[in-house]
Amino acid sequence: MMAAVKRLKRVAALQPGFISFKSSAESDDLNSGRRKRVNKNKKKNWNKHSDIQDVEEFLDDVRLQERATGGLISEKPDDSLFFVDIGEQKKSVRPEVQERKKGKKSKSRPLRIDLILQHDSLVPPPKDVLAYQQPNAKKLRRIAENAEKLAAMGVLPRRQKRLLNRRPATKTSKAKTAANNFPDRPYYDLWGGEAKETADPYYLEQTGKRRVKRPEKLNAKPSILPAVEVIAPGGSYNPDFFSHQALLLEAHEVEVKRERAELRLERQLAVKREDTATEETVFQELVEGLVEEEEEEQEEEEDVSIRGGLQQEKKTEKERKRERADKIKSQQKQAARVFTDKKQQLFQLRSIQATLKRREQRTRERVAQRKANQEAEKSMPRRLGKLKFQAQDLEIQLSDEIPGSLRTLRPEGSVLKDRFKSMQKRNMIEPRERAKFKRRLKVKYVEKRAFREIT
Amino acid sequence: MGGLQKKKYERGSATNYITRNKARKKLQLSLADFRRLCILKGIYPHEPKHKKKVNKGSTAPRTFYLFKDIRFLLHEPIVRKFREYKVFVRKLRKAYGKAEWTGVERLRDNKPGYKLDHIIKERYPTFIDALRDIDDALSMCFLFSTFARTGKCHVQTITLCRRLTVEWMNYVVTSRSLRKVFLSIKGIYYQAEVLGQLITWLVPYQFAHDHPTDVDYRVMATFTEMYTTLFGFINFRLYQTLNLVYPPKVTQYLDLTSVCKLNLASLARVVATAEEEENQLDLFPTEGEDQENMQAREKEQKEQEAQKRLFEGLKFFLNREVPRESLAFILRCFGAEVSWDKSLCIGGTYEVTDETITHQIVDRPDMDKQYINRYYIQPQWVFDSVNAQMRLPVEDYFLGTTLPPHLSPFVEEKDGDYVPPEKLKLMALQRGEKPVQEDEEEEDEEEEEEDDDEEEDDDVDDEELTEEKNLKKLEGTRAQGKTLAVKVTPGKVKPWETGSVGNKVRLEQEEKAEEKRLAIMMMKKKEKYLYDKIMFGKKRTTREVSSLRCAPAKPTRPSLRPFACRWR
Repeated sequence: MMAAVKRLKRVAALQPGFISFKSSAESDDLNSGRRKRVNKNKKKNWNKHSDIQDVEEFLDDVRLQERATGGLISEKPDDSLFFVDIGEQKKSVRPEVQERKKGKKSKSRPLRIDLILQHDSLVPPPKDVLAYQQPNAKKLRRIAENAEKLAAMGVLPRRQKRLLNRRPATKTSKAKTAANNFPDRPYYDLWGGEAKETADPYYLEQTGKRRVKRPEKLNAKPSILPAVEVIAPGGSYNPDFFSHQALLLEAHEVEVKRERAELRLERQLAVKREDTATEETVFQELVEGLVEEEEEEQEEEEDVSIRGGLQQEKKTEKERKRERADKIKSQQKQAARVFTDKKQQLFQLRSIQATLKRREQRTRERVAQRKANQEAEKSMPRRLGKLKFQAQDLEIQLSDEIPGSLRTLRPEGSVLKDRFKSMQKRNMIEPRERAKFKRRLKVKYVEKRAFREIT
Repeated sequence: MGGLQKKKYERGSATNYITRNKARKKLQLSLADFRRLCILKGIYPHEPKHKKKVNKGSTAPRTFYLFKDIRFLLHEPIVRKFREYKVFVRKLRKAYGKAEWTGVERLRDNKPGYKLDHIIKERYPTFIDALRDIDDALSMCFLFSTFARTGKCHVQTITLCRRLTVEWMNYVVTSRSLRKVFLSIKGIYYQAEVLGQLITWLVPYQFAHDHPTDVDYRVMATFTEMYTTLFGFINFRLYQTLNLVYPPKVTQYLDLTSVCKLNLASLARVVATAEEEENQLDLFPTEGEDQENMQAREKEQKEQEAQKRLFEGLKFFLNREVPRESLAFILRCFGAEVSWDKSLCIGGTYEVTDETITHQIVDRPDMDKQYINRYYIQPQWVFDSVNAQMRLPVEDYFLGTTLPPHLSPFVEEKDGDYVPPEKLKLMALQRGEKPVQEDEEEEDEEEEEEDDDEEEDDDVDDEELTEEKNLKKLEGTRAQGKTLAVKVTPGKVKPWETGSVGNKVRLEQEEKAEEKRLAIMMMKKKEKYLYDKIMFGKKRTTREVSSLRCAPAKPTRPSLRPFACRWR
């Protein structure tokens, strides 16, 4: 089927009047590039793949010539095609004309029909009667008149009646939901209207028309911090001296903390002074394994250990008995000590009480501390994702930046960033960083040939 | 092993939480869509108490959501709209690629959209709930309205935010609910009291600021989308309470260049379709209520009313270099008439040359042409007056003078804390003003000087403060028209010398002190010990504070502290 379609297309494209989408030059290019090698020995392929365009053109041309000018132009005598322009005709030519007039029907005069058929004759071609003949013209006329009469009376033909009776296509003109941020959007009283639930609640629930109730937990605010935190009085554009100093102090503390953290890191990574190489250690390292004295020392050590082992083997029975007796003795001693301790504890009641009190106080302090920590945590931002919350720097202007007047004030910090951070602080959004641009496929860098030759 | 054994991580906290990726897959949404949905619905991630249990043994940091929350999300109709939008984008891209322009048009016409009304209704079932959460919404809308219209975020959003903020400011002006203002280096903090709720919001300065790069704009845009919806509904309801038509009719030009100017015009000429009714406290004689309480409340109410008309009757003119919007808003809030130069912005009602202008707000070191019958003051006077709830003496704020420091009204000092001397002066002024209601603008400079001297000599102690109060009252009444012959020295003022009001106050205080002493005597030893400790701590702080205040040379503003280091 595809092949047939292709054949038709190509044949159509080859017709003389055909204008293709693509320009002819391009199509030629394509064809020349894509010409398939066809077997022209089969009868089937004679018609398909043989190009007879030129022959057809020639024959058309011949036909045109015969039609238009009555015979091939190449076979016509020169006189019929060209004439020599010698100006006005003189009177000496007249006798020739008079002679001619004797024989009106002489052969030298062209036939009337030939003259009429010249292309510049004024005689119009005859009317083609067949074109005006319609076998059932009367019938058609009668039908049209009847239809007109009926239409004048108001009766519609059956087809139109059916069209009109058809139910009109309900043009669901979709209420174009205007965008949310349309500037002139209308508002209405949202809280004033009555409840819309008029139908049976079970029905609404089953058909999915009922709005699901919002869970109560969602109404709780994610943080106890207020939405807009006013800056400290030192942040006024014309601050009082002491409040400004207080704010500077706060900022200073933050800076100091940061610096200390950095120093701490450095200190942890620093090399200990003891570990640095001194001359002695360097020398020892170089000399290791070269000195012979070390072998003797090793022998002595072995003897000592062997002797120790031999002695142990001899006196193991005695040792065991002694050990057992010692153990019993120490146990007894311990029991006695525990007993006396218990007795003496009676006299140590006061100090015991003191220690107990201290312990209790410590636990109480710890409990209070833990409670305070928990309360503080409520106002701290929670860890909601990969990144920790980074508080923004305090907005503050140094003493020499404080403007004298409102006109010379340069605003510090950006309210946009402040709002963003405030939302992060209140646990409404998690802190995120900008998404990196990841490529799916690696980029390959290749030097241009020119550059490769240079280097 | 047997069949029905308990396996780990199958029940308890491990099944109550779900990781973000799992939740996303369950909802079949992309990550951006999931985040947007969570922000719109108000679903936040939780940090479980025992991370190891929830994370099935590993301690890798992951984002956890409550499983019930995610299950609730499944019923949200907006989820379907997100998916439709994804399909729409895909189709549109295809149509573009195939260059089918009719298809593109058709798709664009049928772009899927969603509405957030039902979400707002679900999150804030009552109007008061919504009012409590309006702080955030206000700050975001004000922030977005100051953005430049470059196209980074939708210009439509910026316009909408602008419109909403103007409506809010109109409401505050009409209902006279503004209470506190604070100019900080970050922006301007306002506090208003609306239907019993104290609402604080931050407005950035109008100067152009470069946008930080590490802020996620998509998240902020989603928040703004939700907040604009909420804000609009709240505005509607608030306008309803005042019987005003919503949206308000504003004389406006609609081309983009004058949209910012639209706001000030609306502030200058608000078309309120109903009269502003004066609220009078109905006297409900409730049983069991003391006469005193009622009187106190009446007094408070009267004070509030007086405060609302702080600048009433005054005519202001704002010079070119002062922050127009902020000042116009505040001045209108307290009943004044404001105008500015016509060439700057639409909405200026009268010109500089108007003779009836009482105050002109200028921020330059000096003005060349000066009219006689008006005060030329710096803008801080307005803000300080609002915070002090009275019209401060204008002399401190003349052109060229060093301004007194702008104190924060959001700070409440407890007994014994450091109170800056300016604040003490203010409080003294406030107290000194009370018996004398008529002259609000005339103050003797002598009085202020003497106040300063007295403050430096005395210790900040409760009883002595009252003595000062009485002294100042005395001076206030005396210095009305007479000259002060003798310099007053501090000391105990005998009861019969002061007026009857002072007498009563003093008697009350004496009674209280007596009761306190009795209570202290009746305490047990342990309690007394604790009490002594507390008082010792307090006294220590007051001592420190007084040592600070009596510091010999109070340095002037531009000073260099040794550790003022420059950080990144």
